[in-house]
Amino acid sequence: METEELLINMGPVHPSTHGVLRFKLRMDGEIIKECTIVLGYLHRGTEKLAEMKTYLQFIPYTDRLDYVSAMPSNYAYVKAVEELADIEVPLRAEYIRVLVMELNRIVNHLVAIGSLLMDLGASTMMMWGFREREKALQLFEMLCGARMTFSYMRIGGVREDLPDGFIPKLKEFIEDMEKRIADYEQLINNNEIFLMRMKGIATISAEEAINYGMTGPTLRGSGVNYDIRRLEPYSIYPDLDFKVCVRSEGDSYARYIVRIDEMRESLHILRQLIDNMPESSIIATQKYGIIPMTGAPYTAQTYFPRIFTPPAGEVYSRIEAPKGELGFYIVSDGTTKPYRIKIRSPSFCNLAAIPQLVRGLKIPDLIAAFGSIDVVLGDVDR
Amino acid sequence: MDPVTIDTTKISTIKKKPQTALEKLEDTGLIHTVLSAKDRKGLILLTTVDQIFNWARLSSLWPVTSGLACCAIEMMGVAMAHHDIARFGMEIFRASPRQADLMFVAGTVTKRMAPRVKQLYEMMPEPKWVISVGSCSNTGGPYHESYSVLKGVDLIIPVDVYIPGCPPRPEAWLYGVIQLREKIKNEGYGAKWGINK
Amino acid sequence: MNPAEELKQALPGSVMSTGMQVDKPLAVIKKEELLAAAAKVKEMGFDHLSVITGIDYTDRFEVIYNLFSYKKKENLVLKVILDHNNPEVDSLTSLWKGANWLERETYDLVGIKFAGHPNLVRILLPEGWNGHPLRKDYDMDTEQFVTIGEDGEDIVSTDGSNLLRRK
Repeated sequence: METEELLINMGPVHPSTHGVLRFKLRMDGEIIKECTIVLGYLHRGTEKLAEMKTYLQFIPYTDRLDYVSAMPSNYAYVKAVEELADIEVPLRAEYIRVLVMELNRIVNHLVAIGSLLMDLGASTMMMWGFREREKALQLFEMLCGARMTFSYMRIGGVREDLPDGFIPKLKEFIEDMEKRIADYEQLINNNEIFLMRMKGIATISAEEAINYGMTGPTLRGSGVNYDIRRLEPYSIYPDLDFKVCVRSEGDSYARYIVRIDEMRESLHILRQLIDNMPESSIIATQKYGIIPMTGAPYTAQTYFPRIFTPPAGEVYSRIEAPKGELGFYIVSDGTTKPYRIKIRSPSFCNLAAIPQLVRGLKIPDLIAAFGSIDVVLGDVDR
Repeated sequence: MDPVTIDTTKISTIKKKPQTALEKLEDTGLIHTVLSAKDRKGLILLTTVDQIFNWARLSSLWPVTSGLACCAIEMMGVAMAHHDIARFGMEIFRASPRQADLMFVAGTVTKRMAPRVKQLYEMMPEPKWVISVGSCSNTGGPYHESYSVLKGVDLIIPVDVYIPGCPPRPEAWLYGVIQLREKIKNEGYGAKWGINK
Repeated sequence: MNPAEELKQALPGSVMSTGMQVDKPLAVIKKEELLAAAAKVKEMGFDHLSVITGIDYTDRFEVIYNLFSYKKKENLVLKVILDHNNPEVDSLTSLWKGANWLERETYDLVGIKFAGHPNLVRILLPEGWNGHPLRKDYDMDTEQFVTIGEDGEDIVSTDGSNLLRRK
């Protein structure tokens, strides 16, 4: 019998591509023979815009890279600039930064798991995930007035101190969340359909994953005990007790389990931060010698100069964002604007492995594999 | 021809809040036409049918799932339990534009995405409405200077309601939806059916 | 001894200079020797290619490779300096599969050619886009528009009359 290969186009407008991604699939019956990924439908030229903005003005753009977890993007950028200009950040500011980043990690994983389950056809988890996300967003709103795009970090510290009533509300959230995670596990982990669609699907070995430059939960799901928070400790992570969640299977299910475990670890970190929150200023002052106006409130705006000139030089600084290694390569020529900023986004590098992952699988498996990688298109296309 | 006299007592600039059940019913705009239909003669049927149609349309708008960027996450937030867009009968997000009558342009429209957005709009059946959500799709927003971003989605498709914000809060989003419902409520006569706005 | 020095000892002919980039050891490699040096570096245990950055300095191009070793937990930065008229360097896709997209992106936005790359086409911008945006001499004033052709692929032109509703 004569058979023919079928070309299938998926996206850029498709509910399961998490934004505007396009797959070109060459099918042999039900089986994917070749998957080509077409990117760039959300390419906004952030790196070019960085060259036109001052160092401070670029902070809002980092929010819009990975819009599900904006705090780590904020932090990765300000950390790079701080390394470039050798700024020492007060301890309380570091505590607040880690606090908001871990909170954001939980939010990110909620969205990731929610949309993964939604793609598989189970909408309950989506509803539940967004219910808890809403509570976390209310905390962020108390902190900086924004729900998604925070621009909360400043070079040398954070914008505002924790407001009154934030810590009690956060404690409430942590306690609530602990129970909810157990709920999720009860709902999902032993679901027959879920297991059949996730276990043993889209497996990648540790060597392959490293070769592709995969990072974050996708790499830890393949059994590589790697976490930049541990390997190259930054901020106050050396003082914190947390374990790196690793699974050895390397399949979609392992990547999902790593995310669930990481949420628990983040809650554990949050508890330690609340208990040990030190009292100090929230923005570095010693470097600039700027005296605030008398009676002016003690905020970042009064201390930090609008025009900021780091010394000429190059720096690559990376952090463990919820999706993986997020790095900023900044070249400064000693003027008020960066000469070049290159963003190493985790989604971009993780996505590169998809064609290899899904070869020989069926289209529904592609959806599951893609969901388990957790990609945000703003981060891919920049 | 008799000179037109205007009874100024009947014109009130401040809209009263409906109190009684009949007033509330009148506020929907439906009952009013029926009651005053006696005087209009020729237009009775058309206007009434029109308003029933409008009412039906605005009560169950089906949006097309076309999230583009950051605002799409907020769109998911609006659709979920807390903000609950289902109260407007809009919770059914259709993946196919052929089954939808409302498009949220939620996010940055890049040059590369622009022809696709336009195609998506053209694929939607009449009558159709567009809400442009967020600074990016309104004007280009923070990416206005970029080489690869379209400076406002209204350059390629007509827009009914603009919601500002980056991204707009869900409350703003719902307010935009209410504005669109107001607009549909007051939409024209049968002669306009099927004709491009 | 830091890995940059180690590399210089192993391949004295191909390393032009060594130094530090903030806290990371840096080695400047001759552009002809990049592939050999990278293979050596991978042998030394640097298995993770973090990022490839292309920078336009108006008189030259620089390509920077940030590497990390999961075993030794060390960083290494490799740098090659390219001629501005004909920026071309060997591709590292044979060593790291992850380099594939990173090199395509660098080609797309900065315009550096990678010899031996299996599929060196634009990745973020559509095929046919005029110029490389991250070059300093990129023309920001000319607007380019994209339309869809018969086969579903993008067509780039400066004429947006098919797309726009009004001028």
